[in-house]
Order: sequence, then C-alpha cells, then structure tokens
Amino acid sequence: MNILDGLGEIWVSLVERAARSLVVLGNGRNGLGAGIIWRADGLILTNNHVVAGGIRSAITSAGDELSLILLACDPEIDLALLKAGVSALPAARIGNSRLLRVGELVLALGHPWGTPSAATLGCVSALGKAGTSGSGGEIEIIRSDARLAPGNSGGPFLNASGEVVGVSTMLVGGDQGIIIPSHVVESFIDRVMSPK
Amino acid sequence: MSQNDSQNLLVELSDSLSRAVENAGAWTVMVDARQRLPASGIVYQPDLVLSADHVVQREEDIVVLIPGGERVSAEVVGRDPGGDLVLLRVAAPNLVPAGAAPGEARVGQLALALGRPSPDGIQASLGVVSARGGPMRTGRGGLLESYLRSDTIPYPGFSGGPLVDASGNLIGINTSGLTRGASITIPTGLAWKTAGALLEHGSVRRGYFGIRSQPVEIPPAGRSSLGREQAFGLLLVGVEPGGPAAGAGLMVGDILVGLAGDPVSDPDELLAGMSGALVGKPAVVQVLRGGEPLEMSVVVAERK
Repeated sequence: MNILDGLGEIWVSLVERAARSLVVLGNGRNGLGAGIIWRADGLILTNNHVVAGGIRSAITSAGDELSLILLACDPEIDLALLKAGVSALPAARIGNSRLLRVGELVLALGHPWGTPSAATLGCVSALGKAGTSGSGGEIEIIRSDARLAPGNSGGPFLNASGEVVGVSTMLVGGDQGIIIPSHVVESFIDRVMSPK
Repeated sequence: MSQNDSQNLLVELSDSLSRAVENAGAWTVMVDARQRLPASGIVYQPDLVLSADHVVQREEDIVVLIPGGERVSAEVVGRDPGGDLVLLRVAAPNLVPAGAAPGEARVGQLALALGRPSPDGIQASLGVVSARGGPMRTGRGGLLESYLRSDTIPYPGFSGGPLVDASGNLIGINTSGLTRGASITIPTGLAWKTAGALLEHGSVRRGYFGIRSQPVEIPPAGRSSLGREQAFGLLLVGVEPGGPAAGAGLMVGDILVGLAGDPVSDPDELLAGMSGALVGKPAVVQVLRGGEPLEMSVVVAERK
C-alpha cells in the first residue's frame, strides 16, 4: 500500500473512533455546537458560549438523545461541563496537551456550518497564552491553521494518535482557530468537581 | 501494513513536521523594525539576517530577537525594495545559518511557513507548494525572475520568514509585500543571489539603456530576415539623448529583438536580461531597422 493511502486510512479510523465521543448540541434555534463525552460516567464538555442560551437537544453520534444538566460553567475561559443521565458512554481518549509542539499534525472535529461530524486537518501553529474574558486573567491556548467555522465550537482537537488534546473554541480573523488545551480542561473539571 | 504500523507512520509524519519546525526555528528570527507587529527573518550568515524590505521601516533602533530569546541590535547592510529583501548585520556573530533545500521546489510537496513575530516562540502553518511562476513584475517596481506560491496561511508577522520543506530546509522567503494581499515565496536561489549583491554593493544593481519601448508584432519580412521563430519585439518609441542606447546609435523606430544572444519579445524579458552583471560593460543588442537585422554594442549604465 502506498504510504499516503496508509496515512489516509489511519486518519479515517481516528476520525471514526473520535466521532463516537462527539455530541451535537442544539439550542433550539439554528445554532449548533459540539460536545465531547469526556468521561464514560456522563461528563460532557463544551464551550460556555454553546450552552449560554440553553440547550434544547443533545444527540450522540449513535443517534441517542441525551438529557443533560449543566454542572458548571466558566465564562472567563469559555468552558462548560454538562452531565448526562446515563453512564457507560463512549468516552474520548484524552491526550497530554503539555507535550504538543508547533508543527505537529492535528485534526478538528465538529459541526461547521451545521455539517455534522466534519473533520478538518492542520497543524499546531503556535503555543501561547491569551487573556480571558472578564477579570484579565490568562490561560494557555493552542493556535491552529486547521479550518474552523461556527459549529466547531466545543468540538475535539485531535493529535496524530487520535487523542483529544484540546477543545476548539473560537476563530480569529477568519483563518486561525483558538483551542483550549486538554490540560486546562482537566484542571477546570478538577476545580468544579472537587468537594466544596 | 497493519493498523499499528500505519498509526506509527502518522505519528512519525507528525513528529517529522514538528522536528522540521524546531530545526528551522533555530535560524528563524524576530525582526522588530516597524511600528506595528514585528515580523520575521532568517539567518543568512552567522552575523547576517535576511528579511523582507517592507517590514524594516526604520534605519535605526532595529532589534532582532534570536532563537535563544536574546534581543540584539542590527543595522541595514543593503536593501532591494524592488525584490522586497533587506540584509541586516546583527550584533551577534554566531548565529546558525539556514540550510537550503536540495533541488528545485516541486508543486505538491509538503511545506511549512514559519514566523517569529513575537517572543512567545516559533509559529507555523502547514500546506503544500501550490505553484511556480515568473518572471513577474512586482508592485514595488522590480522584477522577480521566479517565485513560488503555497497554500500556507500568511499570519501577521510571517513576512521575512521561511517556507521550509518537511525536513526543515529552506525553500524560500515569504513576503506579502510584493503582491496585493497574497503572499508569495522568493525561492532560496534568488534570495541568496540578492543577499550576495546586497552584501557586496548595498543594493541590487540593475542595468539601464535609456529607451522607451512597446511590444510590436514583427512583420513577416523581418521575421524571415531574422531567421528564427520570433513573433514579437520591442519598438523603440523614445531614446534618451546622451543615454547608453543613443550613444550606441539606436534610433526611434528600431525594433529591439535580442540582448546578449537571447531573444527579447516583451518588456519583462528585457528587464530580466538587464541584470546588474551587465552594468558598465558592453552588451550586444540586436535590432530590426527597415526590416534588416543589425547588431550594436551598448555600454549598459546603472539604473538609479
């Protein structure tokens, strides 16, 4: 088999595997966003701006309708955590985003312009920091040239091993995506799930 | 090929790309010489940096941030505004020069555009070499003998930075200063040639004839007397009194058809042929006068 065919095959299998952990979130109007099944016990991760107006529907890639409650949200870093009423969901494989390097291959999954489970390819363009909205804090972010569009928000950003290394969050200037690294997501989840 | 093997292949490809960025990042610098966002440059020789002319708007207070993170001062050695290149000497003598990719760039090959517009680290965009072209008149009054296009994204501050191959070798220098909006890549060979001229003369010398011309179709009689398949030449519509062409006896109405043994059928070919190497030397010009070919020797002056 030609090397490029081999690479194409593996991309396809990575996308198929990762798409099982993808949720389509609808706000009841035309807006669509993506959610990631972060843990098999029903924790779903997305962007705060996807759920800010309320979630009217949540459908897994298997076609199952999930009933979700909002556990926590943080508008400053644009993350929200939802809980599904069922467990044994196909959880995403989460990678270590601290190991990312500029230039490595990445693939974004989401629902750009309402197209369900679409994949776009690119590379890590920059690793840096960005100001959070509101209090003037800072978080680490990933920038990428993978094509993102409205509807990609909340969707997974995969490395070449198919692990989720970030959450697609916004688009800057039409040609650069901002991705929140998975280690920032993990610390958000730890923070909101720890006993008060 | 098993799934695991191909998975390793994909990870290998990804690792190669990040290694390419790391390798080329060692000779990709930040050039801070304009009011807005700084741009990028590449190390040409251990104390010389090549960048895009349009991003170096100052003659003084030029700062180059070298890959280790140190800020060093730099001064302009020479500029080629027409080709949008500038050569800077930096106060750091031991930089790692860029390694050129072997052979010509090929359409379809993987390429990464790199930039270092901030102290936060190297930046990259992935794509392929999309096209090769040239010669092309630039918006800045020059002529590019050849250029490349890629579908990488020219992020702000990427001008002056490199386009590299999958091993991190230099394919060319990116600039968005030569064509409105779009970014093109000046191939390494051409960039090195310009850098050499800037180091030697401080500028890229271009030849000057002192003529105005327009392309015309060569009449059938002229074509047969030339004895070659050449449909067009340059009709001289003005000859500067006292200029190089006038000195050699060229007249309004002559049709210029050749320079230094090469046919000339449009203004770009003439511009491309009048390189700095001709300056001060006699060049053989072939014209048609009254349908008959004539050869004259013009001592080429330097375009100011």
